[in-house]
Amino acid sequence: MEFVSPEGLRIDGRRPQELRALQCKFGVLSCCDGSALFQAGNTKVFAAVYGPRVADIRGQALHDRALIKCEYAHAAFSTGAARRRRGRSRKSTELAALVRGALEQTILVELLPRAQVEVCIQVLFADGGVTAACINAAMLAVADAGIPVRDMVAACGAGHLEAMPLLDLNHTEAATGGLEVCVALHPALDRVVLLQADAKASVDTLEAVTTLALQGCKAAAGAMREALLQHVRSLAARRGAI
Amino acid sequence: MQLAGQPQAPNIIIRGSGSSLAAASVQERLESQYEAFSEDSFVCVGDIVPTDMQEGFLRGHGTQVVDGQLMATVCGRVERINKLVSVRPLRNRYSAELGDVVVGRVTDVAGKRWIVDLNARQEATLQLSSVNLPGGVQRRRTAEDELNMRSVFEEGDLISAEVQALHQDGSVSLHTRSLKYGKLAGGQLVTVPANLIKRQKHHFNTLPDMGVDVILGCNGMVWVAPNAPPPALGADGEPEQAPPRPPATREQRAAVCRMAGALRALAALYFPIFQATLVDAYQARKPGLVDAA
Amino acid sequence: MLHSKQFVKKTKKGKVLKVVREHYLRDDIWSGSPLDPESDPACNKLSVDAKEYLVVDTNVVLQQIDFLEHAAVEDVIIMGVVLEEVRHRNTSVYQRLRALTASPSRRFYVFSNEHHRETYITTNVGEGPNDRNDRAIRVAAAWYGARLPGVRVLVLTNDADNRRRALESGLQAMTVQAYARSRTDCAELADLVAAGSSGEGVDDAGAAGAGGGGSGKAAKRKRIYEDHRPMSEVTAGIRAGRLHQGALRVNRFNPYEGWVGSESVGADILVSGRAAMNRALDGDIVALELLPEDQWRGPAKRLPGAAEAAEAAAAEAMDVEDENSLEAAEAVGDREGGGAHLAPQVAPGEHYGEDAAAAGASERRPTGAVVGIIRRNWRTRGYAGSLQPPAEGRPLRRGAASVLFCPVERRFPFIRIQTRQAETLGDKRIVVAIDSWEADSAYPAGHYVRTLGPIGDRETETEVLLLENDINTAPFSPAVHACVPPLPWAVTPADIADPNREDLRHLVVCSVDPPGCKDIDDALHARPLPSGNLELGVHIADVTHFLLPGTAMDAEAASRATTTYLVQRRIDMLPKPLTEDICSLRSEVERLAFSVIWEVTPDAVPVAVRFTKSVIRSRAALTYAEAQSRLDDPRLHDEVSTSLRAIAGVARILRQRRADAGALQLASPEVRFEIDTETHDPLDVGMYQVREANQMVEEMMLLANVTVAEHILRAFPACSLLRRHPTPPPRQFEPLLRAAAAAHVSIDVSSSKALAESLDAAVRPSDAYFNKLLRILATRCMTQAAYFGSGDVAPAEYHHYGLAAPLYTHFTSPIRRYADVIVHRLLAAALRLVPLPDAVREREELHELSDNLNARHRGAQMAGRASVELHTLIFFRARDVVADARITKVRANGLIVFVPKYGIEGPVYLTERPVGAAPANGAARGPAHGATGTAGSDACSNYILDEEKQTVTSQDGALRFTVFDMAAVRITVAEAAGHRRQLVLELVDRALLPESEKAAA
Repeated sequence: MEFVSPEGLRIDGRRPQELRALQCKFGVLSCCDGSALFQAGNTKVFAAVYGPRVADIRGQALHDRALIKCEYAHAAFSTGAARRRRGRSRKSTELAALVRGALEQTILVELLPRAQVEVCIQVLFADGGVTAACINAAMLAVADAGIPVRDMVAACGAGHLEAMPLLDLNHTEAATGGLEVCVALHPALDRVVLLQADAKASVDTLEAVTTLALQGCKAAAGAMREALLQHVRSLAARRGAI
Repeated sequence: MQLAGQPQAPNIIIRGSGSSLAAASVQERLESQYEAFSEDSFVCVGDIVPTDMQEGFLRGHGTQVVDGQLMATVCGRVERINKLVSVRPLRNRYSAELGDVVVGRVTDVAGKRWIVDLNARQEATLQLSSVNLPGGVQRRRTAEDELNMRSVFEEGDLISAEVQALHQDGSVSLHTRSLKYGKLAGGQLVTVPANLIKRQKHHFNTLPDMGVDVILGCNGMVWVAPNAPPPALGADGEPEQAPPRPPATREQRAAVCRMAGALRALAALYFPIFQATLVDAYQARKPGLVDAA
Repeated sequence: MLHSKQFVKKTKKGKVLKVVREHYLRDDIWSGSPLDPESDPACNKLSVDAKEYLVVDTNVVLQQIDFLEHAAVEDVIIMGVVLEEVRHRNTSVYQRLRALTASPSRRFYVFSNEHHRETYITTNVGEGPNDRNDRAIRVAAAWYGARLPGVRVLVLTNDADNRRRALESGLQAMTVQAYARSRTDCAELADLVAAGSSGEGVDDAGAAGAGGGGSGKAAKRKRIYEDHRPMSEVTAGIRAGRLHQGALRVNRFNPYEGWVGSESVGADILVSGRAAMNRALDGDIVALELLPEDQWRGPAKRLPGAAEAAEAAAAEAMDVEDENSLEAAEAVGDREGGGAHLAPQVAPGEHYGEDAAAAGASERRPTGAVVGIIRRNWRTRGYAGSLQPPAEGRPLRRGAASVLFCPVERRFPFIRIQTRQAETLGDKRIVVAIDSWEADSAYPAGHYVRTLGPIGDRETETEVLLLENDINTAPFSPAVHACVPPLPWAVTPADIADPNREDLRHLVVCSVDPPGCKDIDDALHARPLPSGNLELGVHIADVTHFLLPGTAMDAEAASRATTTYLVQRRIDMLPKPLTEDICSLRSEVERLAFSVIWEVTPDAVPVAVRFTKSVIRSRAALTYAEAQSRLDDPRLHDEVSTSLRAIAGVARILRQRRADAGALQLASPEVRFEIDTETHDPLDVGMYQVREANQMVEEMMLLANVTVAEHILRAFPACSLLRRHPTPPPRQFEPLLRAAAAAHVSIDVSSSKALAESLDAAVRPSDAYFNKLLRILATRCMTQAAYFGSGDVAPAEYHHYGLAAPLYTHFTSPIRRYADVIVHRLLAAALRLVPLPDAVREREELHELSDNLNARHRGAQMAGRASVELHTLIFFRARDVVADARITKVRANGLIVFVPKYGIEGPVYLTERPVGAAPANGAARGPAHGATGTAGSDACSNYILDEEKQTVTSQDGALRFTVFDMAAVRITVAEAAGHRRQLVLELVDRALLPESEKAAA
């Protein structure tokens, strides 16, 4: 398989350092406090936020900060091969934990003592970069819910194929089993929130790939910021000054 | 729900309302307003909020100070009151203010107080001492009253109340020490984003033209009911305990549904909700959709 | 960071699942022409003043890659869709095309039409993928036309329908043939156009069979070969067990005989005759059908070449009843083959004039005929050879002529090519590629690829042998050179400070190598320890410190796998700065090494061993002769000499111990040339001299290799790279046993120990060379040693027969062998210095790696021998030498003799001797070739072969030859068919033997 042609094009026609087309939609669900749909190419992830509100289970509430809960699920049709897996798999538990970790560092939890914020994530289509898309969708939904956060968190994946770092791998590229990292970043604070890699790699490779992923995060953050501002303006335009 | 500025015509059918607003007119009205905002009056999370350096600033809600600069923690509109700079989100959970009229649901009866859900960050409490009990305004609460609390409000009851006190952790105390507050029945509850309810003098709206009463709870819970008969004054000049409402007529029920639909339509479009917009929305429905039934 | 603007979704439907892929279309793909103002100048490759830009379709690339590679073909636009299709259809053509597009000297531009917004097309309803791709090419060509109005865009396609549509849509289109003809500036081009596409009628090639001739009589020709059965039938047949599958191995000495190893039959199947081979070439995977048992035959018993070949060729000629028959008949005379080869050219396990499988087998063997070819193994790099000279009286045709090409490798058939330059190519070595072989053509059709140079020229012939053995002589790419540290290089303080690297610069280390050796990869030391024991060290260049996995250099080294040594030249595995300087353990400089250090008792019993990366400083780089003189001179007491003597002492004990364990001491008739420094021609030739110093170094290397093998296998039982030498099957010893029996010597081959002992005992006091001769014969009986992954073979078979070692690997020459590089990495991983290299982690990958190592190793050996042979030829070209020879084998019509002095082995035909057998047909050409063709068949009756005694006796009893007899032979060089120069041996009276040439008896 040739993943980057000597002409510098990847299989899907992108250049090595290009993100896929990103799309953000808000308020897709009305019965929650905030919701968002994040799309990177074919990957499509939906997130809904409930809260901050009283904890479901009183015993879990924390006296000094908010409790973040995260649910992850993927649609049976989300991958090409229709796999039907009931219940939680290890993979989905892991993903939920990753997203929760990123959100715990992002949301100003200490401002919301004894409250609970629940994020539900549903993957509608998985075509690579699912972890990053989940984090981005969750971030958008949290922002839509008006929950105070330290900074925007934007995530992006990158991989290493044919001795070259590639940004934002799609499923075909990720399926090679090479190094793929997922980085989540607070762009304004310039703080890495999450760095996940699931293959062995040399330090140099990891560094090159991570650097690229960080650039991708910044680009994704820019796109998400635009979408959020647009969303806020449109809401303000409708609601007017109150 | 559709975003503004998108080319597709919003074709919004609001469940349970039967009324749908003419899309084109909405669009037109939005376009004109949309341009009115200056670019920097909105910020996204992580953006630096512009401040006047010489004067300094006071950090308000929705902001944090990072390296001496003010950074937004929510997406929203920048508000400046003297030195106080805050960012107000366009959509968030209800945060109570003193004196707010709210509509809530009783979720629990605990010792000497009711727990009320206001759709806020924390639940509200209604002390036994903060309600009017039958048979006298100023009397001591007895142990018997405590045992009979359920006869006043039960779990699941909807009540209207006023915010009496705010606490550090975000929880709220309510009172219903006025005749206009109390248990709600014989109407419909519509929940809308709290941000859409404008705080005004009167949250109890009586719309005699339509024959409905609307209680616009500041927490986004709106009560719609048929016009109540004026409270009958008792022999001692004290208002009597409200008599049971007569069953609503068909017309009243239709009007209530129609008003509720108007509310949902406004919420779906994220339009502000107060008496004027309610009346507009109520009247903007296409005739014949509900009446024919 | 920009996102794509638009995208179209492409849906692929597989069995059940639907794959949705994104496909981004872009605006930033440039035309690559400086005429286009919008094009990014950085990617412009096409020229400004080109007469036309060529656009080619997939089939043109696949079939005419040689044409495209010609320097006269420039300004070619390769569409992305073409590239993609070529990649799927033929990897090697794809790589060649990629090399073209990547080369800065060629103006080949890749236009990614599939990702350009204006040239992307979606498949129409009812449109096949091929039609769609053709349309995509036309759309992109039209786009070029619109974008560059000043240039002629010419579509080259051999598909008539595509051409018609292109013309209809206003494009210019041509066949490749027509284009090549139109290029009057370069006549050579037309030759490069692959056969099978000649003329405009390619599309109906199936009917016309435009195979080879194409000159007039093409219409109705008789089938010469059976049609191949359809693939479905072949597959079904193999499954049902009616047919058998295997790779065809054509006998090197008799191209009309081949063997197919088949698991389903359990034995090798004989395929005899061209008709039975049915157009299969050596290396092809074929399906064959067993003949009824009464038609089974045995392999040719007489010396092949002469009569056998003549018969077969004549038979072939009979079948071909058209103009080809003449040429075929001519071929008969040329096919007599059987020239003398240098002995080393015969690989171990392969006996002169016999295939290993046939060795000693006189009974009838399962015989079959090819009915289908499952996979062609035609070389894409082409076949080296020369044109067949035209028959006398038949002048060369002007213009395009059909000529026969004769490959130097005799295993391959003649190839018919079309050329306009027959006159100029007559005395050149050329490269030809095979295109097709139709059932009605006696020979495969091919096309000219390139000229190597004049025949007989040393450089040219070296090129030939490199090409034949598939040795990559291309200079290293810039990417590879980028991996080499800059010169001058020195050990850095960081290297010394490395906690994993021991500072051994204080040790008295020295290296011993052949004179002139620049890639010194091993060095030794020994010093006494206070305990009375001895510390021994073997220090190997730390190549893996520089050669890191995953780099371009590593990929290149892995594909070359070994350095190839020719008589005059060395083709390196690693770039020169590494080979000769940075890694080479030269004297008095600090170098990085990987050291194995033993503590041995005075009786040479190792009590401890450790491995470490180190820094050393060699005190002396000695030649074998220098080292030997230090060993021999007890007066020298310098550090180097004493440690050398200590090492030699240990080595002697180890050697004895190994011999006791049954290690074989085999002899190989290696020769050495003295080369004229001016002309580079060989001045003298002689056997290689073996000194004790050589044995000392060898012994230490063996010890290091065995020690390392044990260590890595302990650490990685399933993924170590080892080297094994399987025990030869008993029947492989038959030639040795028969020869020995005839000489009344008993040889015991039951085990390597028994063999070693019986070889030691087989001494004729009167004949010092007899023992060596026996050892040479024994070497021939051996199997090939091979690299393997330890997970692939049962532990019982790790054994190395020749060395009598249970485990063995290669560790000591990482500069020139890639296997050692892998072993270095494994050892470093076992010491936990580096992670386990990826290449060995997967069993499949390790298997592929060892396969490549084995193939390249063999190729390098063959090339080395061929180079020796070439130099021998050059040596004898100007000489007429009579030398002493020994008979190694007797046959009914001749003898195989071995000339120890020159290391030559070859046949001597007896059949010309008898009176009356003088060639009547006038076909005689060379002095030793008096009897060919028909002469052979009557002549053989004049001699009687006694297999038992390994003796041939002439009918009158006057002449009698027994194996191991001495014989004087005259060595001359004769020009044979296809300009194959070969040595010809001829028996002469021993009296003619000059005193100096007499073998020391």
